[in-house]
Amino acid sequence: MANQIDILMPLMGEGINEATLVKWLKKPGEKVSKSEPLLEVSTDKVDTEIPAPADGVLVATLAKEGDVVQINTVIAQITSDGSVPQAKAAQPAAPAKPAGAASPAAQVKPAAAASSPVKTNPAPAARPAVSLPQANLTLPAAPASSVRSSPLVRKMARDLNINLGYVPGSGLNGRITKQDLEGYVSSGLAEQHAAQASQGANVVYVATPQDALGKSARVQTQVIDGVEMMEGNPVRREKMTKMRRLIAEHMVESVRVSPHVTTVFEVDLHNVFEIREKHRAEFEKREGFKLTYTPFFIHAAVQAIKQHPIINVSLDGDDILWKEDINVGCAVALGNGLIVPVIKKAQDLSLAGTARRLNDLVTRARSKKLLPEDVQGGSFSITNPGGFGSLTSNPIINQPQVAILGIGAVVKRPVVVDDAIAVRPMMLVSLTFDHRVVDGEGGAMYLATLKKILENYSEIPL
Amino acid sequence: MAAANAFDLVVIGSGPGGYVGAIRAAQLGMKVAIVEKAPHLGGTCLNWGCIPTKALLESAKTWDKLKHIEELGFKAGSPAYDWARIMGRKEGIVDSQRKGLRFLMKKNKIEVFEGHGRLAGPGKVGVTGADGKVTTVETKKVLLATGSRIRQLPFAKSNGKSILSSDDVLSITEVPKSMAVIGGGVVGIEFASLFARFGTQVTVIEVATQILPFEDEETVGELVKNLKKQGVTFEVGTKVTAITDNGGKSASVTLEGGKPREFERVLVSIGREPVTNDIGLELAGVKTDRGYVTTDSHYKTNVDWIYAIGDILTTPALAHTASAEAIHAVEAIAGKNPNVINYQANPSAIYCYPEIASIGMTEQTLKQKKIDYKSGKFPFSPMAKAKIENATEGFIKILFEPKYREILGVHIVGAKATELIAEFALGKVLETTVDEIGQTIHPHPTISETVMEAAHAALGHAIHM
Repeated sequence: MANQIDILMPLMGEGINEATLVKWLKKPGEKVSKSEPLLEVSTDKVDTEIPAPADGVLVATLAKEGDVVQINTVIAQITSDGSVPQAKAAQPAAPAKPAGAASPAAQVKPAAAASSPVKTNPAPAARPAVSLPQANLTLPAAPASSVRSSPLVRKMARDLNINLGYVPGSGLNGRITKQDLEGYVSSGLAEQHAAQASQGANVVYVATPQDALGKSARVQTQVIDGVEMMEGNPVRREKMTKMRRLIAEHMVESVRVSPHVTTVFEVDLHNVFEIREKHRAEFEKREGFKLTYTPFFIHAAVQAIKQHPIINVSLDGDDILWKEDINVGCAVALGNGLIVPVIKKAQDLSLAGTARRLNDLVTRARSKKLLPEDVQGGSFSITNPGGFGSLTSNPIINQPQVAILGIGAVVKRPVVVDDAIAVRPMMLVSLTFDHRVVDGEGGAMYLATLKKILENYSEIPL
Repeated sequence: MAAANAFDLVVIGSGPGGYVGAIRAAQLGMKVAIVEKAPHLGGTCLNWGCIPTKALLESAKTWDKLKHIEELGFKAGSPAYDWARIMGRKEGIVDSQRKGLRFLMKKNKIEVFEGHGRLAGPGKVGVTGADGKVTTVETKKVLLATGSRIRQLPFAKSNGKSILSSDDVLSITEVPKSMAVIGGGVVGIEFASLFARFGTQVTVIEVATQILPFEDEETVGELVKNLKKQGVTFEVGTKVTAITDNGGKSASVTLEGGKPREFERVLVSIGREPVTNDIGLELAGVKTDRGYVTTDSHYKTNVDWIYAIGDILTTPALAHTASAEAIHAVEAIAGKNPNVINYQANPSAIYCYPEIASIGMTEQTLKQKKIDYKSGKFPFSPMAKAKIENATEGFIKILFEPKYREILGVHIVGAKATELIAEFALGKVLETTVDEIGQTIHPHPTISETVMEAAHAALGHAIHM
């Protein structure tokens, strides 16, 4: 018999329990060779391609484009000779069995709970009388507490592993009753939501749907003559993309967790400007890409962290975790969202090395070629809305980090230098920090150091 | 200004369904009229039911206490009662409530029409006064709350002397030496308990095999035991074949296959029937089923402008049920989309001694429906406050679903049963399980502690046993 291999949705990073199947790059019946891309997937952290683990023929695709698939779920099968495997090929609901050696992902474990069938979102029309949040979320195991239910319903929900945030309540004051819960279960919605729910306990910074975008953030609309109206005005309803939704959750959660404080400094970029002007042509010729200001900022930010390591910590309960490496996440806008690739061990990089690493990550981010590890492990972040002309910003901390640097636009201004007015390229730089660990003094001292470094760059190896 | 006789809502019947609905409608801004054909507002509940009977039963309770007053350490000579004054007190309470109702109508600007109300074509209600004059009022909606009347035995109509209905009993001038109570329902048992305590030889005759057939066998068993102690005798599972009046002085009751037995008074309490004839239902095209009006879950009949609540529906014929239904119906009329009433959370209360109160399903129903359940039971006898109050009879029984411990039914027999059941009514509405009842701190010393103990018993860890 032909050797049959199950392709599982690989684990693409800590805390990622599911991925959206974006596109099949091969059709059933097509030959595939080892390492050839089979499909594109998208998660909150990364979009990537999944390669074929071996030579063979793709005999079955078990999930559709657009499906949200749990990790470790069988999504495709290939055989060495193209024969259709017995029994399993036509069963999308097949549990992800421990697929062992043939798995494309080295870290695949026998997924005990991964028996959830692959399903698409519930159709909004399934129960027109109620409005349900229908998100493809990674859900925490415990139901949210902000919904009104009853002791009986809560017990049943715990037992049936149902997140009550999804269940519409018909009882007194919107209370979820036993009947509502049973209706929800028998409607099949519970199963569908469960299929999308978290299986791991390693979800750390994922908000509940209620906290982030659920009931508390809902508005009242009514459908009149087929047109949905909000406060008397027609609206068009569109589902958030997965990336949008996860950004929304992370932002809400970050603001909830961290008391944000922002401090702003002005920096004279005269020296940086001079150095860049002096080297840009030669640099571009040598490296094959343009030398921008950003590597200077990253490099200087890292040097400043060396003097102020508190900017580079994380909090774990009431413990402070001091990090050896300075891994700088750089926000890259993607038009419909953003991604934050990470320059690892930035403390070991020269300015040119930083520029090279940044260029590589940005290029791959824009062409959706980032690998899961490229977006993991950041210890500090930099965002540069100055590129769009913004003078200063008040960004939100990328949890579980404690600070984010906001770069403003570089603008030539008349400034006083040595009691004379000079025209200088000036920039506002902001540090938004978590006041649980960093105080105003610490934030200001960090920016003062950063300013000093940037204003005193003289000759640095490029 | 709108026509004087044009209303948003006309309520026909002023019982605890009708008047409550009328007030709620007025609160919601409707222009409301209420129609009553009896001489007083308040319906059966106030005039011939809940209120006067409970007033008499309270006197019976006091009399019972007086009989045992020496046990409490008092020397009161030989106590005696004055039946006329007991009846007078009852009348006083009823009268005071009637006046209160008149005031409430006035306060809420509800126009009262005295006379027989009938549906009279679309948006119209005709009221026939005592003088035969018909006043026609116009209305957007009608709430039918005409209630129920006493059901008569076809072969033994009450004569107001020896053969009495429950209405007649309320004006009885002296306590009879013996009484046959035909029908061991709520009304019959309450009167049996009343007269037995005043010394009447009471015989309860019930065609079913259990008195109070809709109550739990176990609480009823406890009640029967207590009533027997009080001197009540029971003839269950037997039919009355004849009742003959003996010149107004007494009546003879013949049971199936038996000889006539003489009683000074015979109370016929075989139930009530809905007042649905002669209110214009046919003209309006309102659907009925065996005399009861049919409605949707918001109490709207098949006719868009007509709603119906209370005893004319097949839902439990209880005052509080009618009130809840009326509030619901009126709120539905006002477009408020109220929550559908859960009748499993609708308590019942019987004011004999000891009292019986219940909510949800009985044990026999659970068995019959093959619903998996467990039972937790706790008697009042070990509880200090029950001893203090001389109220040690009876128990609380909680029937619950074993897995999540959802409360399926609660059955209480005891001196304070009708007050204690309210906690479970709240519990049922909020879907509280046995666990939370047990975790709720109850004041000490009270009889209500027994509620907590029954929950503990249900969970297998009663403290005081």
